Amino acid sequence: MSLEEPTGERTETHLTGVTEAGLDYDAIADLLGDRVVGRETHLNAEAFVVRPDEVQEALFALRDEAGFDHCSCVTAQEYEDRFESIYHLKRYDDPTQEVSVVVPTPRDAPASQTAEPVYRTADWHEREAYDLVGVEYEGHPDLRRILLPETWQGHPLGLDYDQDRPQIVTLESHANPLAEDQADDTGEADTMFLNIGPHHPATHGVLHVETVLDGEQVADVRSDIGYLHRCEEQMAQSGKYRHEIMPYPDRWDYVSAGLLNEWAYARTAEDLAGLEVPEYAQVIRTMGAEFSRIAAHMLAVATFALDVYGEFTATFMYGFRDREVVMDILEDLTGQRLMFNYFRLGGVAWDLPEPRAEFFEKIRDFLDELPGKLDEYHDLITSNEIFQLRCVDTGVIDAETAKDYGCTGPVARASGVDYDLRRDDPYGYYDELDWDVAVEPDGDNYARVLTRLREVEQSARIIEQCVDLLEDWPEEEREIQSNVPRTLRPDEDAEIYRAVEGAKGELGIYIRSDGTDKPARFKIRSPCFSNLQALPEMAEGEYIADLIASLASIDIVLGEVDR
Amino acid sequence: MSSNRETTETGTADAQPTDMQFGEARSASTDSDGPAAEGVVESTQEARMGSGADSRFNSKLRNAFGSSPFILTKFDKFMNWVRGSSMFMLQFGIACCSIEMMHTYAVKHDLDRFGAGVPRASPRQADVIIVPGTIVSKFAPRMKRVYDQMPEPKFVVSMGSCTVSGGPFQQGYNVIKGAEEVIPCDIHVPGCPPRPEALIYGVAKLQERIAEGESAPVTVKPYELEQFGDLQRDELVEHLAADIDEDTLVMRYNWADST
Amino acid sequence: MRAGGPPLQQGTTTANATGGATTTANATGAANATNGSAAGVGPTAPETISGWLGLGANPDPGVQFLIGIVVASLIATVFLGLAAFAGIWGKRKITAAFTDRIAVNRVGPFGLLIIVADAVRLLSKELIVPEDVDRPAYDIAPMLVPFSALLGFAVIPMGSGLQLADPETGFVFVFAAASIASLGLLTAGYASNNKYSFLGGLRAVAQNLAYEIPLVVTAASVVLFAGTLRMSEIVAAQAEPLVTVAGFAIPAWFAFVNPFAFVLFMTANLAEVGRNPFDVPEAPGELVAGYMTEYSSVYFVLLYLGEFLHIFLGGAIVATLFLGGPAGPGPAALGLVWFMLKVLAVYLFTQWMRSAIPRVRIDQLIEIGWKGMLVLSFANLVLTAVIVGLIV
Repeated sequence: MSLEEPTGERTETHLTGVTEAGLDYDAIADLLGDRVVGRETHLNAEAFVVRPDEVQEALFALRDEAGFDHCSCVTAQEYEDRFESIYHLKRYDDPTQEVSVVVPTPRDAPASQTAEPVYRTADWHEREAYDLVGVEYEGHPDLRRILLPETWQGHPLGLDYDQDRPQIVTLESHANPLAEDQADDTGEADTMFLNIGPHHPATHGVLHVETVLDGEQVADVRSDIGYLHRCEEQMAQSGKYRHEIMPYPDRWDYVSAGLLNEWAYARTAEDLAGLEVPEYAQVIRTMGAEFSRIAAHMLAVATFALDVYGEFTATFMYGFRDREVVMDILEDLTGQRLMFNYFRLGGVAWDLPEPRAEFFEKIRDFLDELPGKLDEYHDLITSNEIFQLRCVDTGVIDAETAKDYGCTGPVARASGVDYDLRRDDPYGYYDELDWDVAVEPDGDNYARVLTRLREVEQSARIIEQCVDLLEDWPEEEREIQSNVPRTLRPDEDAEIYRAVEGAKGELGIYIRSDGTDKPARFKIRSPCFSNLQALPEMAEGEYIADLIASLASIDIVLGEVDR
Repeated sequence: MSSNRETTETGTADAQPTDMQFGEARSASTDSDGPAAEGVVESTQEARMGSGADSRFNSKLRNAFGSSPFILTKFDKFMNWVRGSSMFMLQFGIACCSIEMMHTYAVKHDLDRFGAGVPRASPRQADVIIVPGTIVSKFAPRMKRVYDQMPEPKFVVSMGSCTVSGGPFQQGYNVIKGAEEVIPCDIHVPGCPPRPEALIYGVAKLQERIAEGESAPVTVKPYELEQFGDLQRDELVEHLAADIDEDTLVMRYNWADST
Repeated sequence: MRAGGPPLQQGTTTANATGGATTTANATGAANATNGSAAGVGPTAPETISGWLGLGANPDPGVQFLIGIVVASLIATVFLGLAAFAGIWGKRKITAAFTDRIAVNRVGPFGLLIIVADAVRLLSKELIVPEDVDRPAYDIAPMLVPFSALLGFAVIPMGSGLQLADPETGFVFVFAAASIASLGLLTAGYASNNKYSFLGGLRAVAQNLAYEIPLVVTAASVVLFAGTLRMSEIVAAQAEPLVTVAGFAIPAWFAFVNPFAFVLFMTANLAEVGRNPFDVPEAPGELVAGYMTEYSSVYFVLLYLGEFLHIFLGGAIVATLFLGGPAGPGPAALGLVWFMLKVLAVYLFTQWMRSAIPRVRIDQLIEIGWKGMLVLSFANLVLTAVIVGLIV
């Protein structure tokens, strides 16, 4: 597949609306001219309301003239009187510069122009919007359901959906999508269609990869997702802000990355309700989150080894051995091994475990041993010549393509996209600490594994500094929780999109409040969802073994892809 | 998996006698001896599995002799010991619980100590399927198919709250309210997710029950795979008739009825 | 010393006794003269038994056949037992040792009863024959694989007098027998009517083709040294000491004489038995279980055992060609023990590789085979020929 537009000519110097002080929204409004029919103020950015048949023009202008090259999320929602699609745009160079494009469509004919030609990543996002909310996108290349089965009736996040209606789901064999193009005289294609998944050892859960093989090489690959769509957005929309939503983020990216996910919700809801978080709690959060990141990356490396080495090899087991240590520490901190539910709006649930000295010692022991363990990983994995033979220059995705697909996290950083929200859009205590962002230029499977291993190193650095801070924190100033009203009722029609750097990349949440104690719309921007979408770019033309390796190197978690 | 399991060599469930106890008290007649008389549990089994409830513990010898002489009792005991001592697990991950399941296989907890730590990727070679996570509408038919592809005798460990009742996602529009809606379960391990220790306990308990020749697969209200043409015609079926072939396998979810 | 030995041998292969064979017999005879006790050209097991029974070395064919069957069953039982031991219990324990675990320890002492439990359980499982498989190919394939491996053991001298037959062309026979397995794998792959099996079967054939040739060519360099294709004589050729260091005689095992060939052979052997880094035909993680995806119960057991039997056959070939066969300290009666230890050492090596080394991709595998191993093995052969020609 090719990029829709040559993107190299974008220049940094002549971006409209970008000033030293931040964004000049009026200049952007001028740029869009009379395509703007209205203007809203969201808590994170200004939003321009655009007519449904001028979406592409507006987005092209924003992308090419104003440099908004990152379409981080597309949110669709239904109001009493209209449907609305919101495109959340950012810049990879500075994600604090945001703008939203709101596209209202009438209830009786909810159709607007697709954004797919502008941002490749909009493809899946719009399919999801169509699937769950029911907005249609004109000109979309493949507007099918994405999360729910094809035979599903109704759009479950719409206002008039009846959950008790029966549904019928088929179990059909899938057809070779290339069969028609490639049919020879006998009417048969010379390619082989192979279903990888939804139950297959390499899919890390229940992903279904429809693969067309030409011999051993991959001619076409399409991901079929939705086998773990467990209605996370609906769950969040039916929970109260204060306590009932926080347990769910743990289950989006469930590979011990729970604290990172909780932070996404905590950050969004705190900004929405204007809550402060005490500094002490921020340090604890930072430390806990980095432990989560280490655990998540170790699982990523271990399962990558599983797919490249074979079942239950030493590398896999070593990964789990070290994860056990991290999980022990996290259990000491939060009380649970996997589903922590430790963050609270305005702070954390409780202080560090007593005796503190013992806890710190445990962490320091772990940190002391970590460099040796990482050396072991480098011995076993990255410096193994067969491993390099397998992974270097396979599954390559370049920086521009990665941006077009909205890739973030280690996948983007391994392609040379220097984008890390911890540094670029600081939250928590990160901007006070001394650490580096791991970036690799090559964009192949090897770079993605290497990036993760290097990030583990950096996380350890962050943790070490946090432990130093926490040890010296005066006892009387250990405030873990700010004052939060018993029932949170953010202002009516307040809208916000906020993101944090999850284990897999930019984990964002959009919330619209309607003045009650529950969100009216809760949309999750999952990094895996966007990253997985780029799989065909990495795998097509490669061997099937590289497809498996690429899939593993993206490090998807189906709980987060399907939500 | 691309091919269907259609033919079996050792007989299908309904060709086997119902008796699964090797005890003296009951004569193991080859015909069904009325599971209804056995009490509530068995009648649910009856509802689930048709006549000839749980045939997994029966041997061909038993079938041929039709009663329970001493030597067969010993043989049955031996076979139960065999099945309880060693099992291949299906390498099967769904959601959060599969992370804890992997930890159970891995270094610290080492499920293989109990002879139950060899994961096989192909269902044809597995004895036990651990269902680790939320089952949603799109996946349930596939899981049912994977279960059907496993050879008898097979056992199911349902891991986590989601497979007990749908767990924290029970209210979801897309979530099956427990694994038992789709396949029969032998052991439930509750928790969200259960700790590895809990899963080990569950597997050990399963082994104990197998070794004693007990089993109680109960399904509350099964969703079955059936051909579209066999469905009762109602509004929904009429609506989909244009899109789905008569002989396509489908699973119909009656959300209002599931508990 | 073994004056009676060679004539007995000639008796079994009467028609083939050519001038060339006579010269090799002389060469080995010389080797035997120096160190005849450890290993050497002796009577095959059926001959020994018929000797015990007082039937002479060459009784009538019916009796020969009967005794042959008995000994063959004995050898097959030993190796099937070993495969069960190593495939069920050993594999788990070794993998566990490499990965910081304990593995089976509840069923019987050290978990050893798991062998019984696993074997009986697998045999008693339901045998699923999927719709649309190609019968009888589907049924024949699982038999071919262990059969070919067991066939290969027929000519391996295992020490302690345990050798079923010792034909002139034993060397050729063992490789020929071992390569029948690829036929079994291909058949299993395509008969299963499963795309994963099919890919696995095709990979198995591609791999065996690419590695069989370097394997045999490398082994041929040993033949150049030994000057014979008869397995027992190859063993005998390795009996004399190479050098003596501080009172320890290092035997002239071909692994020491030509380490390069040994390394090449071990590598090619890994591919031959399909273990990491060359386990692409099975490739768990990519192809589910490769050619055995659709097999359950007894058929699965046969394929699984066949895989381990091939590892042992590979080990037996390595031991015979490179490690002096049953040679080792102590009386010659302990030969079988030493032989088994060597076989198990090779097995341990394959398990080690499996735990630590990634798998190469299929195209890389073929490339390594045809462009690397083949060239190296021919280089080795030529070099050996030159050395043998100049020195010996």
